[in-house]
Amino acid sequence: MKAIPIPKDEIGKIADVEKSKGLKFLRTASPVTWCPGCPNYSIMEGARRAVLNLMKQGWKREDFIMVAGIGCHGKIYDYININGFNALHGRALPTAFGVKLGNPNLKVMVFAGDGDNYSEGMEHFIHMGRFNPNMTLIVHDNQGFSLTTGQATPITQMGYNKSKAEPYGEVHYPMNPLKLALMTNIGFIARCNARDFTHTAEIIEKAMKYNGFAFVEIIQDCIIFNTAVNGRDENMYKVESKKRTFDEALKLASEYDYNSKDGKIPIGIIYQDDSKIAFDEKFPPLKKLKEQKIGWRDFKRS
Amino acid sequence: MKLSILIGGKAGQGINLVSGLVSKTLIHQGYFTFNYRDYPSIIRGGHNFNILTLCDKQIMSHETTIDIIVSMDELTSSLHKSELNKGGIIIESASYEKFGLNLNVALAGALMKILGFNHDVLIENIKANKSINNEKGIEAATAGYDSVQVKYNLSSQKKNITIMTGSKGLAIGAVNSGIDLYTGYPMTPSSALLHELAGMMEKNGHFVFQAENELSAVNSALGASFAGAKVMTGSSGGGFDLMTEALSLQGTTELPLVVHLAQRPGPATGLPTFTSQGDLGLALRAGHGEFPRIVAAPGTPNECAEVTNELFYLTQKYGSLGIVLTDKHLLEGEYSYEDAPKKPLVVKVDRKVPGTTGFISKVSSYEQGEDGNVTEDGSVVIKTQNDRLARYEGMRKEIKDKNISMYKLHGKKNSKNLIIGWGSTCGAIIDSINKGNLDAQFLQVIYMKPMSPDIKKIILKAKNIILVENNLTGQLGRLLRERFLIAILKQNRILRYDGRSFTPGMLIPELKKRMKK
Ligand SMILES: Cc1ncc(C[n+]2csc(CCOP(=O)(O)OP(=O)(O)O)c2C)c(N)n1
Ligand code: SF4
Repeated sequence: MKAIPIPKDEIGKIADVEKSKGLKFLRTASPVTWCPGCPNYSIMEGARRAVLNLMKQGWKREDFIMVAGIGCHGKIYDYININGFNALHGRALPTAFGVKLGNPNLKVMVFAGDGDNYSEGMEHFIHMGRFNPNMTLIVHDNQGFSLTTGQATPITQMGYNKSKAEPYGEVHYPMNPLKLALMTNIGFIARCNARDFTHTAEIIEKAMKYNGFAFVEIIQDCIIFNTAVNGRDENMYKVESKKRTFDEALKLASEYDYNSKDGKIPIGIIYQDDSKIAFDEKFPPLKKLKEQKIGWRDFKRS
Repeated sequence: MKLSILIGGKAGQGINLVSGLVSKTLIHQGYFTFNYRDYPSIIRGGHNFNILTLCDKQIMSHETTIDIIVSMDELTSSLHKSELNKGGIIIESASYEKFGLNLNVALAGALMKILGFNHDVLIENIKANKSINNEKGIEAATAGYDSVQVKYNLSSQKKNITIMTGSKGLAIGAVNSGIDLYTGYPMTPSSALLHELAGMMEKNGHFVFQAENELSAVNSALGASFAGAKVMTGSSGGGFDLMTEALSLQGTTELPLVVHLAQRPGPATGLPTFTSQGDLGLALRAGHGEFPRIVAAPGTPNECAEVTNELFYLTQKYGSLGIVLTDKHLLEGEYSYEDAPKKPLVVKVDRKVPGTTGFISKVSSYEQGEDGNVTEDGSVVIKTQNDRLARYEGMRKEIKDKNISMYKLHGKKNSKNLIIGWGSTCGAIIDSINKGNLDAQFLQVIYMKPMSPDIKKIILKAKNIILVENNLTGQLGRLLRERFLIAILKQNRILRYDGRSFTPGMLIPELKKRMKK
């Protein structure tokens, strides 16, 4: 565990720091190890901008915390300079939930991969709608285990033939995480295109402001492994932001089946239910921490 | 003065109510009690029994020879008749069946009369119990009371005794340490602590979270610890196995974490509601990689409170993992005490947590460099690993400074016979030495890791060493051999592994056979 002082040149008026540091603001000095051209770069930029925009609206930098899984996506922990917990593979969600239990005032963003979240960590994902902790999950959906060199995940298309683990090719039916999110009662469901960082920033910002569990899927190309599903930008279209019923949202979520090259891919907020109560509003001890704007460490028991 | 009362029947008939009512009365009258609970893993039917022992001196075990059998069904008397002592009596359910659901209350009334308590004491106790304080309850109790004759005349003794289970002890220890969060997932016998802490939540102001599984429980505990909360999690058997990857995460992150491992007989689902000491090796090794940990096994409910507090204290101070090792017998056995646990150590979280103005806090499952990010630099890895191990030194010093008992010695000082044991077997061993008037000293090992070097000296001084454990392979024996190169002769290992705890009745002859004159 390390506590590192915020760089001196990043303290002061946000607009001034932004001007002087430009794209380096909120970034660490660690060299980036993603493949040149990997859309993880633009996901990171989207996330950085979302944090920056929220800071401009008065959110404190020290209150942001990211929890990342293990995979190419998880490297983001090394590159964005906010509080962070690089968790175990598949366990980003419960770890983040714990952070929220330890201090409900922290602004928690979780970065996971499709292998991380739907394979190793599925048992946590499907409970998030139930518990409804006030945090945002961002899943880098590149339809493959990339860090472990290209095996198939639960959302890999059938016929994928590059996995060294499946010499007969991928024969399993892919699942649809957006439909699953709807079915498991998640109250905020959105999808973004990794390359469009302005839109991604906008959606992450909205997700962070949502009072409850928000799920943002990011459709991401891996330019090394599952390249067969790359370049779907033409199929993508932005949905208008409006209130949708569950059935309308389900219809939208069903448009892309993760399997075929055709079919439209709706982007934007697919579903938002503002009537849900967040986890930390349900329990008196956590409510007290929120009221006093502190974590357990600074809480005085009477 | 010592009596054994067996109360048996089917699951769901209210056996615990009878033993509870009677033991409360007994401690008010100044008697020590120990209540052993024996039940299968089912909700209705089967055969359950409690053995309630009462004594005018401190006791911490039960016997399987019985003075009074309270039989709620026919099976109980037929199964246990042969265990009856000479002159013992059976209270049969047949004549009380008309009380229906209040059968247990009527039997409690009869038992109280046999023990010689007056009617007022009985009614007072019925009234103190919400679930039976009604007209029908009082009527059944009185009818039961009137149906039998006084047999024992238990005179009142002036003592201030309280009843406590191991799980209650753990909960008290956690609360005394200022616990903020307990996470868990139901599994016998660890659920006892989950329930205990949940029951105390409102009054104490902490939070208890029943997670979707043990993986979530332990990973969220670490997340909360990072955010600055004092946390504890726990499980049994397979549930603990599921936690092991995250125990290793504790190793890299150095986030304070107290884990309760409540043993039950394995492998796999094993005997869910019975007892065992089969997981010492697991506690010592669980989790991949090499990192420091504290493993401590309390032997009594008061020690449960003390050890839990010590582990909260030490893990906060040294960023380590602390495992409290208990078992079903200790957690659910109902002990009675005159003394209270030691004054607790004050536990403080003093490190920079996320949210601290001017700082970024980072923690990772990868090895971390100074900037908090991943490193694969060999020299950094060597330094980090060495620093991890070096924390044992600080812990040892702290344990000494704070007068923490890493072991205890009971029985006859400097005897040539040394009995070695740990955890819940303590009760039966201590009671055996007292009851059998044995020429033996008992070394109770509490801290398994780190382990006190004194233990080697104590063992080497004795002429004859006898090991007592509730497992198949003698796991503490193995640890002593690894740690001090001391092997305990095979014929001197008394091992019980049928899921049941030791009783003085069976232990005294086994010890005598192996003792030197
Ligand atoms: C318990 C466990 N199992 C397996 C691994 C190995 N592993 C590391 S990353 C990874 C998959 C990553 O895939 P994904 O989450 O989709 O992330 P991506 O690399 O595609 O961004 C796996 C299986 C691990 N670290 N831990
Ligand atoms: S392997 Fe794929 S996902 Fe990983 S960095 Fe390279 S392009 Fe990105």
